[in-house]
Amino acid sequence: MKKKTWVSSLYIVLVMIYLLIPLLATAVYSMFQKWTGKLPEGFTLQNYVELLTEQDFMLSLGRTVIICIVPIFLTVLLVLLALFVVTIYFPRLEKYVQLLCMVPYMIQGVILSVSIISLYAGSPTILGNRLVMLVGAYCIIILPHIYQGIRNSMHAVNMPMLLEAAEMLGASKIYGFFRVIVPNIISGITVSSLLAVGLIFGDYVLVRNIAGTGFKNVQVYLFLTMKSSSTKASAVFVIIMITTFLITLLVLFLQSRDTKKRLQKVKG
Amino acid sequence: MKQRSSKYLYLLVLLPFLVVAILFEIIPLLMIVVNSFRPEGGGAGVTLAHYATIFTKPLYKKAILNSITISLTSSAFGIVIAFLGGMAARRAGKGSKLHNAYLTVLNMTSNFAGVPLAFAYMILLGNSGILKQWIPFLQDFDLYTSTGLNMIYVYFQIPLSTLLMIPAFDGIRQEWQEASTLMGCSAAGFWTRIGAPVLLPSILGTVSVLFANALAAYATAYALLMNNFALLPINVSGMFVGDVTQRKEMGGALSVVMMILMVIAMGANNAIVNRQRKGGARK
Amino acid sequence: MGYIHFENVTKDFGHNHVLKGITMDVEKGHLVTLLGPSGCGKSTLLRCLAGLEEVTGGTISLDGKDITHVNPRDRGIGMVFQQYSLFPNMSVAQNVAFGLNMKKVDKETTARKVREMLTIVGLEEKADHYPSQLSGGQQQRVALARAIVTEPKVLLLDEPLSAIDAKLRRNLQVEIRRIQQDFGMTTIFVTHDQDEAMVMSDVIHLFHNGLIEQSGAPTEMYTQPVSKFAASFIGNYNILSAAEFEKACGEAVDSADVAIRPEIVRINLEVADESKRYHMEGEVINSLSHGNLMRYTILCNDVEINADIMFEKSQLLEIGQKVRLSIRKTNVIMLNS
Repeated sequence: MKKKTWVSSLYIVLVMIYLLIPLLATAVYSMFQKWTGKLPEGFTLQNYVELLTEQDFMLSLGRTVIICIVPIFLTVLLVLLALFVVTIYFPRLEKYVQLLCMVPYMIQGVILSVSIISLYAGSPTILGNRLVMLVGAYCIIILPHIYQGIRNSMHAVNMPMLLEAAEMLGASKIYGFFRVIVPNIISGITVSSLLAVGLIFGDYVLVRNIAGTGFKNVQVYLFLTMKSSSTKASAVFVIIMITTFLITLLVLFLQSRDTKKRLQKVKG
Repeated sequence: MKQRSSKYLYLLVLLPFLVVAILFEIIPLLMIVVNSFRPEGGGAGVTLAHYATIFTKPLYKKAILNSITISLTSSAFGIVIAFLGGMAARRAGKGSKLHNAYLTVLNMTSNFAGVPLAFAYMILLGNSGILKQWIPFLQDFDLYTSTGLNMIYVYFQIPLSTLLMIPAFDGIRQEWQEASTLMGCSAAGFWTRIGAPVLLPSILGTVSVLFANALAAYATAYALLMNNFALLPINVSGMFVGDVTQRKEMGGALSVVMMILMVIAMGANNAIVNRQRKGGARK
Repeated sequence: MGYIHFENVTKDFGHNHVLKGITMDVEKGHLVTLLGPSGCGKSTLLRCLAGLEEVTGGTISLDGKDITHVNPRDRGIGMVFQQYSLFPNMSVAQNVAFGLNMKKVDKETTARKVREMLTIVGLEEKADHYPSQLSGGQQQRVALARAIVTEPKVLLLDEPLSAIDAKLRRNLQVEIRRIQQDFGMTTIFVTHDQDEAMVMSDVIHLFHNGLIEQSGAPTEMYTQPVSKFAASFIGNYNILSAAEFEKACGEAVDSADVAIRPEIVRINLEVADESKRYHMEGEVINSLSHGNLMRYTILCNDVEINADIMFEKSQLLEIGQKVRLSIRKTNVIMLNS
């Protein structure tokens, strides 16, 4: 069996190259004046300098950050409260909460966005506001991820027993939940929030369908720039990808730290 | 009994969650289904006319067909590449440098889709793509076709499917392979007689996830081909967004068709996962 | 009425009647064990006392006060759970201090009490460790310290040792009993392990299908089971129906079943007055070594009887050997169901 190891190694290397080529090529492309022959010509960081000093781009970055933070914060809070009430006081409602949380997984961005705009566009209430719609839509899109992240970590720490223990020691249920359970699942919440950041950061459908070009986040910025200047767009691309990787690395790091902790526990 | 009455006060804590879910999930989805049965222009009555149109008008038929075709093709490529990838990762050994590097690259690229991906492919294989300078036979390759789109779809299916298949391969115990070797079974024999059957639920489950993933993809196709390619998500969006007035009824019906396809794919996945769980020993 | 008094306590989970009317007293300072197989209701009764489950009917009183509907945290009860009930984000000392903090005990007193308590359970050096850094046995010591540092009126132990391996378990049983007696702490202990119950308890209540089958001191429970279930759950009784018994020894008995402890069965014993004993003829069909004991299975006219004999090399029996069993009549327990 030994002799075949190189075949599988070769396969892995080939797949990795295939996956990395578009990334690396575009990254190199962004650092040269032009690349029309075999090799790129004229190394320059001009694209980045231009981009990072351009107010329009910085604003789009800022919008992206805000539109990540608000829905995630809201969703985490809502799901935490809902799961708190449901697991402790109304276990029978749990499957309905779960259903509500998992449905978005089945419908995804396109249908969700068109159903929201067809319903609320032109509404005179606050729901007619494009940003309100967008935040609402993002809350729903990340719901399955946040829900599963929180629920899994609640299971992992054996929440019912910890809560009972806290209660027997004189703590109220709410105190027990926020002072004992939440600190123990905070890393699970962080991981699912980061996954949600990745999701919103990479979204184009919802922004385009709901807010149009009226809310220019980095994805829309990239879309518009690539029609005019591909070198500038490639710099935007690199900035988007680096951010995405940092988020992924942070997730991987937190996850591996958690597994290590758990393994330690099993050994002990 | 004081505890009882205060218990229902806690339902108030559930309220914010319900408000958001009802406003942005339940009512919108319900309305889109309801609209699909309404006559165009918002008159009274119930009609199936839009569904009839979808299945007779070439434009819509083409969109559905294109969507299903590209989803199936990209899933097929994805699962084959992932199966071989899972096998290779297993042979490389968990914890080995190559295995770790592989996982890192897969994780990194798993978020790589949509507009950036389409853009990267334009740089690589677009009209004056970099790769065309290096590889002569790509000279005449046209990225802005369904073949080109398919290629990009395959790209984003690879990390997703491989990340789903690698853990499935972990479920194949080394002992089984050793036992089968002792009983005189070749490596190929092991994979066809034991490996593949044990992995079958995971393979089918992964395919349904891939199918749904491709079906729902919008940004990639839109960034590459704009509205010039009939595809369900693009046609659906076109009914509601843009310069034209919204066609809620027709768009609703088209959305429902798309939803049904999604539900079938996801439902298949759930059924497979449940059966696997009941099987118990399979794990 | 005892320090703790259960009056006709019932508990239903839907259509499932888990407790069918428990009336029971616990004396102050006693360690009382609720023993029984899983699903017999013992843990549920404990949780009702803690207030973690609401009773369906009946009342519970503690120290003369009705606590049936009092909040768990206001009952003055400490509890140790099966395992992993320590708060993973808090150090050992913080875990032990938790209950004192809830009572708003001042900082210095808290620190002193935590230190004392950790010394008692032998973990003063682990104060700054986190639960994940401790072994299962150490975790349960911390849980015990955490439960009693607030000086509760009653300590509840819900199978605290079930996840701990056999040898360590013995040590912890002795240690818990020692601490309980030092503090004179009224304690209720739940277990499904009869040996554990024997070692630790002042009083044992044997549970079966939501009812108390039998109550008594450990030795009493061991020597005088009142029912077929009690005999089969405690000790390794030979349980024979009247018909089987008659078939084996030729004499009829006036009860539904009889129970015979294996260690009172004598093999090939010569006695003067044979009328005080039952006799059976049989053939050894199996032998098992239990360290200092040998357990033989003897087939007497198609009825299997187990006999425990102290190990003595010169007296080992072989399989297939014919033997004569004798059992003192007064030692045979008649069970009427």
